Amino acid sequence: MPEEKSFFKKIDITKLGPLVALAILFVISAFASPYFLQVRNLLNILSQVSFTGMIALGMTFIIISGGIDLSVGSAVAFSGGVMIIALNGLLQVMSEPLALLVGFLVALGVGIGCGALNGLIVTKGRLAPFIATLGTMAIFRSLILFFGNAGNLTVDFRYTMLKDIGRGRTFGVQNTIWVFLILTIILQFVLNKTRYGRYVCAVGSNEKVAKFSSIKVDRVRFMTYVITGATVAFAAFFAAGRMNSISTTQVGDQYELDAIAAVVIGGTPMTGGTGIIWGTVVGAIILGMISNMLNMVGVSPYLHGTVKGIVIIGAVLVQEIGKRSTSKLSN
Amino acid sequence: MKKAFLLVLVVLFVFTAVSLAATYKIGVSIPTADHGWTGGINYWAAKAIEDWEAKRDDIEFFLVASSDPQRQVSDIEDLMVKGIDALVILAHDSAPLTPIVAEVYEAGIYVVSVDRGLLLPVQDVYIAGDNPGLGRVAGQWMAEELGGKGKIVALEGIPCVINTERVEAFEAEIAKYPGIELLDSQPAYWSADTGYEVMSNYLQKYPEIDAVFAQDDDVLIGVLAAYEESGRDDIKTFFGGAGSKIMIKKVMDGDPLVKADVTYPPSMIATGISLAVFGVTGEPLVGFYQQKVPSEVILAAELVTPENAHLYYEPDSVF
Amino acid sequence: MEDFLIKTKGISKEFSGVRVLNNIDFELKKGEILGLIGENGAGKSTLMKIISGLYFPTEGEIFFEGEKVVINSPFVAKKLGISIIPQEFNLINHLNVYENIFLGNEKRKNKIVLDKKAMRKKTKELMNKLKTVIDPDTVIEGLSVAQKQMVEIAKALSRDSKLLILDEPTTVLTINEIEILFDLMRNLKDHGVSMVYISHKLGEVKEICDEVMILRDGNFVSKANTSKISEKEMAENMVGRVLSEVYPEKVSPDSDLCLEVKDYSVDRVLHNISFDLKKGEILGFAGLVGAGRTELAETIIGIRKKKSGELLINGEKVEIKNPLDAVNNGIGYLPEDRQGTGIITNFDLIKNTTLVSLRNYGKFIINKKKERERTREYVDEFKIRAASLKTKLEFFSGGNQQKVSLAKCLDPQPKIIIFDEPTRGIDVNAKREIYFFINDLVKKGISCIFISSELEEIIGMCNRVAVMKEGSLAGILEGEHINEKEIMYYATGVKGAA
Ligand SMILES: Nc1ncnc2c1ncn2[C@@H]1O[C@H](COP(=O)(O)OP(=O)(O)OP(=O)(O)O)[C@@H](O)[C@H]1O
Ligand SMILES: [Mg+2]
Repeated sequence: MPEEKSFFKKIDITKLGPLVALAILFVISAFASPYFLQVRNLLNILSQVSFTGMIALGMTFIIISGGIDLSVGSAVAFSGGVMIIALNGLLQVMSEPLALLVGFLVALGVGIGCGALNGLIVTKGRLAPFIATLGTMAIFRSLILFFGNAGNLTVDFRYTMLKDIGRGRTFGVQNTIWVFLILTIILQFVLNKTRYGRYVCAVGSNEKVAKFSSIKVDRVRFMTYVITGATVAFAAFFAAGRMNSISTTQVGDQYELDAIAAVVIGGTPMTGGTGIIWGTVVGAIILGMISNMLNMVGVSPYLHGTVKGIVIIGAVLVQEIGKRSTSKLSN
Repeated sequence: MKKAFLLVLVVLFVFTAVSLAATYKIGVSIPTADHGWTGGINYWAAKAIEDWEAKRDDIEFFLVASSDPQRQVSDIEDLMVKGIDALVILAHDSAPLTPIVAEVYEAGIYVVSVDRGLLLPVQDVYIAGDNPGLGRVAGQWMAEELGGKGKIVALEGIPCVINTERVEAFEAEIAKYPGIELLDSQPAYWSADTGYEVMSNYLQKYPEIDAVFAQDDDVLIGVLAAYEESGRDDIKTFFGGAGSKIMIKKVMDGDPLVKADVTYPPSMIATGISLAVFGVTGEPLVGFYQQKVPSEVILAAELVTPENAHLYYEPDSVF
Repeated sequence: MEDFLIKTKGISKEFSGVRVLNNIDFELKKGEILGLIGENGAGKSTLMKIISGLYFPTEGEIFFEGEKVVINSPFVAKKLGISIIPQEFNLINHLNVYENIFLGNEKRKNKIVLDKKAMRKKTKELMNKLKTVIDPDTVIEGLSVAQKQMVEIAKALSRDSKLLILDEPTTVLTINEIEILFDLMRNLKDHGVSMVYISHKLGEVKEICDEVMILRDGNFVSKANTSKISEKEMAENMVGRVLSEVYPEKVSPDSDLCLEVKDYSVDRVLHNISFDLKKGEILGFAGLVGAGRTELAETIIGIRKKKSGELLINGEKVEIKNPLDAVNNGIGYLPEDRQGTGIITNFDLIKNTTLVSLRNYGKFIINKKKERERTREYVDEFKIRAASLKTKLEFFSGGNQQKVSLAKCLDPQPKIIIFDEPTRGIDVNAKREIYFFINDLVKKGISCIFISSELEEIIGMCNRVAVMKEGSLAGILEGEHINEKEIMYYATGVKGAA
């Protein structure tokens, strides 16, 4: 039996779709704006997409397993907000680096807690993920609005470490980008090299077969939400650092949509079963690049949504057409 | 395909041409038009840029409008890439924008902060409306109009510093008249819809009302609609605030219910842009004996009456 | 000159450059039943998919009622009067029986409102014709595999067709249902309907078909009148060589018990089932459709919750609450419903093979090299035909999917294996190989439960045979009692306690 002999034949053309789209967009942008190719601008794009990008990484797992999480945006505000409240208290009693570390752990705990709650409702409560996370989306947002009086939760400006980390750079590259990169590598590894990753795909492909194959379907599902909760916490930490505050009304607003869009543009089907982590990264970058390019060219911000919408629909359409032609083959 | 390519080339050419000609680059960052007043901000920002570009060609402007604070931070980061010399910013929100504006300021870029102050002193110029003044002018006019006697209901904005300043000044003013009673004061969040709801409640609750202070012209639209629907005719006067096109027109046309208004002008962004031009080019203001632009400018809350309304009427503005 | 209903000329089909059908000509008279046989992957289903508009041929022409036709969609086929009972179920799981039967063919009042009453009535009539009791309002998900098969048959019958294609409709049916189906087919034949019948059960082909066409590796081999060709000749034509004995010699088991099931009950499904399994034994489970054999297997491996009962493995009591417990206790299960519970069609060969046993390929990180090597062993062992190890199972022929399902079940190296219809859709030659393989397992001390609707293989393979009837154990047969007559007595309740 022949087996992955020719590398190029094996590469699924539909999987390259997002990369091609990115390349085209890149060329157009480079022509459209003389500023686009500046390293600083490219780094800006990456750092700006890293927030929704990190979340989209977790979301990829959820979508592969056949679920969805609408609460991620609210969870960013919630975990980030709680972190700032904690931080302001901690700064009174301990040194700044220590307080920050504990604060980060608080954010991580809250983020994972949010994910675990979603996971529990979906697996034990047997609620449709859409409904379950629609509910928690409202809950997380309302709680942080309450804690923050619908205003800003701000770190005392005498303490600059959170801001310095959030806005800072290492080797000339924004810290958010590094974290995004590291999370990507880890989750790419988990999805493709580990048992858990295989199980996530199995559960999303056919839950019944997975169950018959001695896979703990509920646990696998639950963990996808927990992973997403963790990515939410990282996003929240850096969102808070970037603005030294969490605006309880605005932070994370519509993150869920951008994250889902990134996943879908990246070639992971909403029907689940398979998914591509690096595709999600490309999807996130495409979204960021569109905003950036339109900004650079000076297109009205009200039209950004239209362009974004067209790209989302276009990307998925191209994938669908590709799939149809490969499944019907030589027709 | 060929055409598209040509178009891209032309665009590219125009851009490089413009960027070659300009010696000063000014970035303007404002919120998107999510309600009437910010709509005015967008209008005035575009108008000022147009005016300046007509006047001189050594300045290039970049205008970005952002839908939320995070977006605004990103947009300012993008402006930095363009190598701006000055930034005029009306912040969505003070706290989240402070770190990025601090970064801009520390990079030696001339910063004009409009209306919404920042939490650190990271601007060269601060220009804003007079919030206590707005409350005071409204209170004075209303007390005189009522002859020092009557029942008033008030509607407030979003609970925040700006709102508190306005409300306190208003209350302090009418407190000077023992014949005037403030029946109620509830937040309407500077929104016409909420204004309608709050006013409907007031009309149910209070059988006798002489005057309404809505604090904002958007809110006043809702308030008037509620009043009209109720069929009552006891209220003598309504007072909004900020000076929208619609209300100024009413004042100008001698509307029996809306006889005056007070400005909190969105045109302040235009003035802010002008200040940035003077600041970054180092030109002193006409009539000023100092070299630099003043570090703080508070615009007067001007009373609009039928006599002077035509001066404030801007038919092209969206606000 | 006879008039042909359908006639093909030089039909060929390639999938990404691989030729799976080569220059096939065949013709079918009105009222004729043509048997179509060949090894797994020979191209039978592909040929029929071409005729029913699911695939478009790479080359070749089709003539229908004397005219050249281009069947480029199932819709066109339907309009011509061609219906197909596909090899893999094509039912929508969350819709009910009548909704599935009339899918795309709904009866309407005044062309607008669905006429549910008429559809229910028609469904009942169809079920009566099939002598099957299935409520038109049952949701497909709740049906057994055999019942699903009956619904598929009813669906095809609900359309008045000139050509009916049956792609292995009897793999999960027992003698009773098969007889009912054959009666119906004879009836249709009398009304001038032509049929193509695909099966690996050559006896059936001989019984019901007028002619039989044999394919091998996508090529036409021969066509013969069924009265003039023996089953043995058919089989030999299929594989291209002489075949030897089908069943291996039975091995006598140890006396040690390795599995004891005591008093198993599940609400409304199973009633007080007790039996034991010796080390190295093959215990057959026979019974009619709906006797509860699959349900028993699912209860043993922890898919279904039991109301009462206990399980002993090697004399020790164990509690199996889910399939993982079953695997950890050395129990393997080959599910009956291949695509529903057996394999993941959008996973490739490797990922399917190691799905249950993945724990053996690394605690956290998967050893992909080992995975690949093991899979290749199964490919060789079972002669699985696939483009590559990375080919998704949806592109496999039915029989080859079954072989993968078998490999997946075996890979964790269970000590006790429950085979539920292990040779479903598998060709004669491969069947024989699987029988010998199972026999080798038994020689190594592995014990098997062998559920099958084919009495012949149960009789040929098993040391003892348990017969179930309506959720109860009717009796366990041994020695010379293992014969068709005796099994049917118990299965139908003529003998034994029910
Ligand atoms: N969609 C497809 N893409 C690629 N290869 C395919 C596809 N469908 C079938 N094949 C290949 O074509 C060959 C013939 O398959 P087909 O399903 O017609 O076999 P079959 O004779 O029906 O076998 P079985 O008895 O196992 O059902 C097989 O080798 C199979 O792998
Ligand atoms: Mg087949």
